[in-house]
Amino acid sequence: MSQQEVFERVVKILTPYVKNHGALDGVAMGTHILDDLKVNSARLVDVVLEFEDAFDIEIADDDVDTVQTVGDAVTLIEGKIS
Amino acid sequence: MRPRLELALQRGIAYALAPLTVPAVVAVLRLGFRYRIEGLREVRRAYAAIRRENGAPLLLCANHLTLIDSFLIGWALGSPWFYLIHFSSLAWNLPERMNFATTFTRRVAAYIFKCLPIQRGGPRGEATQVMQRFASLLARGEVGLVFPEGGRSRTGRVDPEAAAYGVGRMLRSLPGCRVLCVYMRGEGQDDWSDFPARGDRFRVSLRWVEPKTDHPGLRGSLEIAKQIVGCLADMEQRYFDGR
Repeated sequence: MSQQEVFERVVKILTPYVKNHGALDGVAMGTHILDDLKVNSARLVDVVLEFEDAFDIEIADDDVDTVQTVGDAVTLIEGKIS
Repeated sequence: MRPRLELALQRGIAYALAPLTVPAVVAVLRLGFRYRIEGLREVRRAYAAIRRENGAPLLLCANHLTLIDSFLIGWALGSPWFYLIHFSSLAWNLPERMNFATTFTRRVAAYIFKCLPIQRGGPRGEATQVMQRFASLLARGEVGLVFPEGGRSRTGRVDPEAAAYGVGRMLRSLPGCRVLCVYMRGEGQDDWSDFPARGDRFRVSLRWVEPKTDHPGLRGSLEIAKQIVGCLADMEQRYFDGR
């Protein structure tokens, strides 16, 4: 799976949780999930669980702390599926 | 300063001031707000027995309706004398920084009441660090108090879906940690609020829970947290059934 494909799936998973829909138009690897997309921090866990299901991977508790931007999520997922 | 030394210093200062601070809080709750707790003696006896049982880490998990729940729970579980003799039994708390540590006075108060302020929704690494400190205290025989819903119950009732996975994560890092659920509610407390109504009368119940999960990682931590919140929801149901 290419990085672009992972990126697109990550954005698709994030979309229902995004409060700042305007930020989705220019979403990029550097887009901050909490600060830019305004995803509720409490819902970040649900997002990560959806990543696990969608990519059939397992994300450790400590890895969750590393996910701040869309790019962080993409990198983490790429590392798990490769 | 090293985290362990910082915590030891905080505990030492809190303990040195406890002969003043603990009775003062009780006086404010009892005489100022005129709060009462039903079956106070029985609850305290039960908690004292639990503390005598063994030195395994102990985490209190409570429902959360008002800003002063941790003070009320502390008052319910032990007398000032008890805490002066068994200071480890006075629980450490993880209050939301925005509520309790925004001014110098509040920061000092949080410090001397065994609090480690945490910013919900703040930088993940920072929150993890605070949780690790908290867990290290429990591992050394201190008691911790958390509100596993992650905030006050916005519907006025325990919401099993609102479980904050952090409590599950912490418990997984503390093998053998016992979890005691504490359900407390004032008779006049129909919804969440900053403070209970003056003169309110509280009922307290305690129940052990042994959360288990076969899931690894995040999913496992969340499942543990949900089992604890589920236990609190069940205790709440019994509270209303018995009213």
